[in-house]
Amino acid sequence: MGIITLNGIGKVYCTKEIETTALENVNLDVNEGEFLSIMGPSGCGKSTLLNIIGLLDKPTRGTVSILGQDCSGLSDRELSHFRNANLGFVFQSFHLIPTLDVAANVEIPLLYRKGVSARRRRERVEQVLERLEMSHRIHHLPTQLSGGQAQRVAIARAIVGGPRILLADEPTGNLDSKMGAEVMALLQRLNKEDGTTIIMVTHNEMQAQETDRIVRFFDGRIIG
Amino acid sequence: MKQRISQIIRDMRQQPLVATVTFIATVLSIFLFMVVVITTRVKVVPFAPESCRDRLLVGQYIHIADPGNGNYGSSGGMSYATARKLYGGLKGVEHTSYFQSLQTQSACGEDGKYFNVYTRPTDSEFFKIFDHKLIAGRYYTAAEAASDLPVAVVSERTARKAFGTVDCTGREISLNHKRYRVVGVVSDHSFLAATACGDVFLAGGSDENQDMFGDTSVALLVAEGTDFGEIRRQVKARYAVFDTELAPENRVTVYHEGPFDQETIAGGIPGSNNTPDTSSDRYVRFTLYALLLLVPAINLSSLLHSRMRRRISEIGVRRAFGCTRRRIITDIIRENFIITLAGGIVGVVLGLVFALTYSGLYEDMDTYGSGVTPALDSVINWGTILIALGVCFILNLISAFVPAWQASRLNPVEAINAK
Repeated sequence: MGIITLNGIGKVYCTKEIETTALENVNLDVNEGEFLSIMGPSGCGKSTLLNIIGLLDKPTRGTVSILGQDCSGLSDRELSHFRNANLGFVFQSFHLIPTLDVAANVEIPLLYRKGVSARRRRERVEQVLERLEMSHRIHHLPTQLSGGQAQRVAIARAIVGGPRILLADEPTGNLDSKMGAEVMALLQRLNKEDGTTIIMVTHNEMQAQETDRIVRFFDGRIIG
Repeated sequence: MKQRISQIIRDMRQQPLVATVTFIATVLSIFLFMVVVITTRVKVVPFAPESCRDRLLVGQYIHIADPGNGNYGSSGGMSYATARKLYGGLKGVEHTSYFQSLQTQSACGEDGKYFNVYTRPTDSEFFKIFDHKLIAGRYYTAAEAASDLPVAVVSERTARKAFGTVDCTGREISLNHKRYRVVGVVSDHSFLAATACGDVFLAGGSDENQDMFGDTSVALLVAEGTDFGEIRRQVKARYAVFDTELAPENRVTVYHEGPFDQETIAGGIPGSNNTPDTSSDRYVRFTLYALLLLVPAINLSSLLHSRMRRRISEIGVRRAFGCTRRRIITDIIRENFIITLAGGIVGVVLGLVFALTYSGLYEDMDTYGSGVTPALDSVINWGTILIALGVCFILNLISAFVPAWQASRLNPVEAINAK
């Protein structure tokens, strides 16, 4: 059994007028330490699947099991704690908070963890930023960073809490090829050095080829 | 905290117009509230010369009815004799003072110029209850008061008008063509201290009138820790005794829950033949407070809502990284409280400065037109500061809760992707 198990996942969005099926009977096992990429055309359900794995969205059908825990019946509060302890997120548009400096942005996941003192949080933030070679930008605002630097900070935020699973939604989508390559190298490093399981949604075939496995999507189904 | 404040400042810089309007609206609402609170509380908070308000009870009127004649009766002030019978020597009372109401008299100093003053005949105990600050000379003694010697304690401004100086003890002031020797000068005070105020205090306070009615009031300084109810029970018992004196004339007293505390006095004792109703006064006051809070809170709430719309993505990100709904609510409320508090502090300072400098604010309350603004300690005290903080907190809660709750209910995915 993998670190993540999706069983018969379906997702239907309903409005007054129409029903849209985003995912249909998706079954997927992800092994611990695996670097998996999800590919497919726009609107095929990749991000929806990532959101369901990230426990940000609930499936209409099926079950999600992460780290052996069936997450279907967890309350919103329990889901929040579970995300905080086990999951990290990297977004295409970085989603750094513009009014917080780099250190404060990276610190966010630690704010929601019980028993971590301010001093310990600061030390951990410095440690992660140093590892990602962003220490010199610690007091800068996101608007003062390049795209590559912003994504590094976003990755720092994603890993500062030591999650076992990292979910990256087109992490290089807003970067030029050089910076994209740097970010990919960084993700590879985290996967190899820390054993972090990474699931990455991407449109980039070359980057997908660098991962352990590619899952291809079409019209809400896994096709390969 | 430092980080939170930095974020607030940056957030406000990003939306300068909304931020400025929010801040000014907060300042103005707290300012307005403070002015109303100060003008209301100044009637009840202790300040010199009525620093004893917490322990002060005042007896002023008597109401006598004739049950055999359709309860037709008379009411009015007490004679000195009646006052002593009803209020003299009560247990649990530290000092009892008999004094008369203010009278306007024509004063004349040594330069021969006339001016009007408010005079108040009192006994010597009066100065043990009311802390008129002595700046020259002394208060008159019990012996001087008992023998109705023509001695007076004058206020600073009266001394200056009459003699051009406060150094006037031993000199004579004429009041309605009767000469009094000044034995002491007390500092000027606001006439909002309505029980203790006066321009000239005359030794005496007792009248020779042996009728039931007269012009004597009683101030009781209740001993520390003694319940007002206990004093009132004793007074009620005195009324019963007094009724035995009235029995041959088939008359009885009507007890109106006296003697009165400062809140009742501040509410305006509603005449000599009514029982004061402080609860309706309180109801009106609290309704006014509620309206003063609610109206700006609704406006501030919509301003906060507008500010939050720009931070939807942030809320989504925080939720993704483990922030619970409850934490979203508390964080927004806490953050908003800092803004409200900052605006509140400015509003409070403005309110205090206004209350201390603009005497017109008290015109309606200052029955005798002293024109003296209340002392600093009546405006700035822990009670007022606590109310100000409480108001900031409540204003914050009312204005922030709905936007915070709405933010907490956002779908994280939709929030993250919000533009």
